[in-house]
Amino acid sequence: MISSPVQNVSDYTRKFGMYTFGIFWFMGCLLATAWAEDWHTAVPDYAWTFPQDHWAHEKYKTEWWYLTGHLKNEAGREFGYQFTFFRVGVLPGKPVLASDWAANYLVMGHAAIGDLANGHHIFSEVLYRATPLLGGFAAYPDTQLAWSRGPLGTAESWSLSWNGAGFNFVAADRAQKMRIALRTRAAKNLIFQGPNGYSRKGTGEAAASQYYSFTRLVTEGDLTLGEETFSVTGESWMDKEFGSNQLDPGQTGWDWFSLQLDDGREVMLYLLRDRSHAVNFSRGTLVSATGLARVLEQDDFEVSVTHRWQSPRTEAIYPAGWTVGIQGETWTIQPVMNDQENRGELVGTLYYWEGAVNVTRAGVKVGKGYVELTGYGSGSVPGL
Amino acid sequence: MIRYFFKAMGAHFRSGRLLFVLTVLGVALGVASVLSIQIINQNSLAAFEGSMMAVSGDADLSVLGRLPTLPESLYVDVLGEEGVAAAWPLYRVSVSLAQHDRFFLEVIGFDIFAPIRVPWEGGSPGDLSEVLARPGWAAFTPALADQMGWSVGDSVQVYSGSRSVSLHIGALVDFQKLSPLASPKMVVMDIAQAQHLLGRSGQVHQIDVVATDDTDVAQLQARIQKKLGESVQVVTPEGRSRQTEGLISAFRLNLTALSLISLFVGLFLVYSSTQASLVRRRAEFGMLRSIGTTRGQVFGLIVGEVVVTGTLGVLIGLPLGYWGALENVDVVSATLTNLYMLEEISTLHVSPWLFATAGLIGVGGAILGALMPAWDMSRRDTRSLLSAFTLHEKIGSFAPHLSAAGLGVFTLVGVWYVAGGSRWQHAGFVLAVGLLTGLPLLTPMAVRLLTQQIKFRTFGLAYALKSVGARLQTTAFAVAALAIAVSMLVGITLMIGSFRETLTVWIGTTVVADIYVTPSSWRGQGDEAFLEADLVERMRRFPGVKAMDRLRGFLVSSQDQRLALAGVDIGIAGGATRFTLLEGDSETAFAQVEEAGWVLVGETLARKKNLWVGDSVPIYTQNGIHSFPIAGVYYDYNAQGGAVILDLQTVEKYWGQGPVNSVALYLEAGVDTEAMVDALKAEFDTSAMDIRSNRRLREEAMTIFDQTFAVTRLLQGISLMIAVCGIALMLLVLAREQVSELALYRAIGATRYQLFSLFVGKGLGMGLLGLVMGSVGGISLAMILIFVINRAYFGWTIQVYWPWFTLGQQAITILAVSMLASLYPALKASRTPATELGRDDI
Repeated sequence: MISSPVQNVSDYTRKFGMYTFGIFWFMGCLLATAWAEDWHTAVPDYAWTFPQDHWAHEKYKTEWWYLTGHLKNEAGREFGYQFTFFRVGVLPGKPVLASDWAANYLVMGHAAIGDLANGHHIFSEVLYRATPLLGGFAAYPDTQLAWSRGPLGTAESWSLSWNGAGFNFVAADRAQKMRIALRTRAAKNLIFQGPNGYSRKGTGEAAASQYYSFTRLVTEGDLTLGEETFSVTGESWMDKEFGSNQLDPGQTGWDWFSLQLDDGREVMLYLLRDRSHAVNFSRGTLVSATGLARVLEQDDFEVSVTHRWQSPRTEAIYPAGWTVGIQGETWTIQPVMNDQENRGELVGTLYYWEGAVNVTRAGVKVGKGYVELTGYGSGSVPGL
Repeated sequence: MIRYFFKAMGAHFRSGRLLFVLTVLGVALGVASVLSIQIINQNSLAAFEGSMMAVSGDADLSVLGRLPTLPESLYVDVLGEEGVAAAWPLYRVSVSLAQHDRFFLEVIGFDIFAPIRVPWEGGSPGDLSEVLARPGWAAFTPALADQMGWSVGDSVQVYSGSRSVSLHIGALVDFQKLSPLASPKMVVMDIAQAQHLLGRSGQVHQIDVVATDDTDVAQLQARIQKKLGESVQVVTPEGRSRQTEGLISAFRLNLTALSLISLFVGLFLVYSSTQASLVRRRAEFGMLRSIGTTRGQVFGLIVGEVVVTGTLGVLIGLPLGYWGALENVDVVSATLTNLYMLEEISTLHVSPWLFATAGLIGVGGAILGALMPAWDMSRRDTRSLLSAFTLHEKIGSFAPHLSAAGLGVFTLVGVWYVAGGSRWQHAGFVLAVGLLTGLPLLTPMAVRLLTQQIKFRTFGLAYALKSVGARLQTTAFAVAALAIAVSMLVGITLMIGSFRETLTVWIGTTVVADIYVTPSSWRGQGDEAFLEADLVERMRRFPGVKAMDRLRGFLVSSQDQRLALAGVDIGIAGGATRFTLLEGDSETAFAQVEEAGWVLVGETLARKKNLWVGDSVPIYTQNGIHSFPIAGVYYDYNAQGGAVILDLQTVEKYWGQGPVNSVALYLEAGVDTEAMVDALKAEFDTSAMDIRSNRRLREEAMTIFDQTFAVTRLLQGISLMIAVCGIALMLLVLAREQVSELALYRAIGATRYQLFSLFVGKGLGMGLLGLVMGSVGGISLAMILIFVINRAYFGWTIQVYWPWFTLGQQAITILAVSMLASLYPALKASRTPATELGRDDI
């Protein structure tokens, strides 16, 4: 068994669970409302400016750059990957302290590689306070969008930058023996999720985020797994979202789908669940081959679970197969492999499922995608 | 025999209660002094280690700077090293609590997002924004909050250097859950707040590292050390403890030695009491032997009784020792803080083994003390046991042999020392043990020789004194026990008196400025208590101030040793006597320090490292090691093992600009010092500063000195008490064993008053002889302490001064106590009726 720093930190935190900051602090910071009135909230008439809006929006409490994709090397070996930077706000303004440790938000990074042919999934994470020493978010026109130190024991930093046509990013983890170094270029223009990028997450006015996506990014670069490095090419999807306290009270998790169909269309769907595990809010977007986005209301689509899978590690039971129906069209969604669960250790017991899926219709593969499932089991919900 | 043993025990107790009580007390006091000192010794580092455990307990390695702090950027290099599972930086500051004298809090600033365990009381603080941004947010221990009557939400004013800072109690954190010995005065806050409010940005004190399970810690240590370079030390927790242990080992050894002397004196007491008991029961043993009891059975009977007595002594001594430790922990703790800036001992932790060892020492010691009399009694024939007046001549005939043995011990130790033993650091203790072993061996002969000179005509004091020499078996031991106790008393009094006087003179010549300004947190914070730069400038320009001497100090590394480095304005007019030179020409040396960047080296360092004028001392600077030529060696009484003085400009050249720790003001002629102190206090916000006149500073220095030796004085007292018990015991023995003789005196016409005087005279005589012998021993011991032990451990030059007044007081006290101790035996003796005269005795 490969011993990883994440695993060791995990043992360490478990051993002294009652004392660690872990989830208490993290959730505390996410749920703290004392400063909420000072954070900006998402608005329907947000004035978008590109490329500036690819960079961080410090007035909003939470923000992320979420890249997922399907890649293969020359020999046809298939991989899935995820690369995410989160900006987790703690204070709307930076405390005025004569110290480089003064910080008002955290930088959190998640990266995963799915070795789809061998059924192997590796996850790595970083969490630092945003300081000049440890990580942070740059401002336009710097090409860098975000960076952080690597995981403990890894000298190489993680970074995400804008290359003028897409995103370049690097994430490495020496102990996990994985590295992602990819360059992307937009094959289709960015689209807004929700009207003018105003993406509702609940019934309340504030329960919304500013949200846009690059639904098809041509991708190339290197993946390192174990002792091997693969030159890979493929397609990625990038979501950029920012907001403040955008979940409705009582929402406990979500299912999120990003599907790239072979006919050139893309589908994004999310379904938010309440404490009774019932879906209480859902929206979606259907993007045409030419790049036109159409907002899907709750009644415009239907998602039903066909299979479930229980994680042997966390015992969480996740949906593991769906049929999706949108205005007369029906697709079957199947995970490429079951165990694509990300188990984080730096933030208490945060775990969720983020994995590559195949899209079929009548038994024929018609597309691919990524699905994210949070709030299952007794674990924690990533903050929104 | 066993039944007899128990029956006889009860009977002896009833017939000689006082004797029994004194014996038990002697063992109890000896055991108590050993135990209390060992408890304190064990705990002297406990607070330091406990607090280290609470914060860095899970760390496999700690990265420490060779300068007091290290650049925080090194943390990044540590994070990235292969095999690191977790790492966190710590910023540590001692701050003093406002409106409390010498009440220090240990503030630990850490990255709250690091995976470090924090034992929050009642759950973690909910609002992270408060922790990061509320000015002064800090978590205190519940123990301290209870003690001070604080609760969450209160504000606490503290001083760090000349800064006055308000801390907000945002949460409670119970470090004693992690490490029971952790100081309750630990305070935690976010590192950004700690740096901003209490310290400096860009620097940390320590980086703790946890290795992954499959990493070899020693290899990781080597890799990090190689990566970060020589400017830091990567140490294991054990390595860190060892460094601190080394720092105070001399202090602990001294205390142990003193406590063992108490035990030694206690053993004499056991010997005397066993002797007393045996004398009283001589006839009983004669009877037992005549009815067929074997020698072995008599021996077993005697030793068995001593075991019971010893056990009782231990049973009293153990709680007494624990109580003694509790009572004295503050005194020792203050000493440790004064000398080594270690954390205070707040709770005592005692391992059961310590009690067991002290118990064994007590019982074992009692048996050891009883072996000789028991052996002597068991081998006597029945006839001699049943007849009087034969017992005491034995030791008289042994006296020359014992003296020869005593002289032999002296010669052996002396030859060993001269032949090369002096090179061993602990050689001084061998000399002291030799002295304290040889002295009692010489006592019988000395007592005999001294008392032989006495001529008497009447049945009075002179007869009493002479009779001390006639009963050597009993009296020589009491005198020897007293001599040991007096040796210790005189030796230590002389050493402390000399040291105190030396310091007084030294302070007189070195403390030459008129006014001294230091941050009030200095005593706890040490070199990290700074004066703000603008404050220093304002003082320099203050009307009436002629010149200012600034001092900037910090710890540096030199060949794996920590040196206290101080930069001063060396060339200041009138400041030449600040450093009295032991070696080197004052004028040349000061010029070299000022103009060529040379250094003055403290005597302690010079002696330890054999560094003298013409040598150079390599010191880690900002840019690596630089060798500084030595211009002079000055008298220095630093406890931490070494100090160097440089010109402030040289310090800035090699270590960069930095804040100063204290300033000394020289006033214009005619300006009244005390009035100026008041004027300065009125002008500046002095809440975080101490502004003291020359006179007050000297007084405070001496107060600290006296506090440092308080525990030593206590041990002296215990030994003396034991010795006085011994005198009372011996006189009781004499009264008991001389019953027939006393009856004879009475029969031939001696009055009760004459017998009473005789015994008081004997008490006084023994006191006097003990005093004479003890003074000789004490003076020798003082010389060993001053010239051998002190030199080996501290390297100070102590001039010998004779504290006549104190010594005289002590002599009178000893004689008075000897007399007092003899009153009861004298009363008992005077009541001996003539009818006690046996037929055999005529």
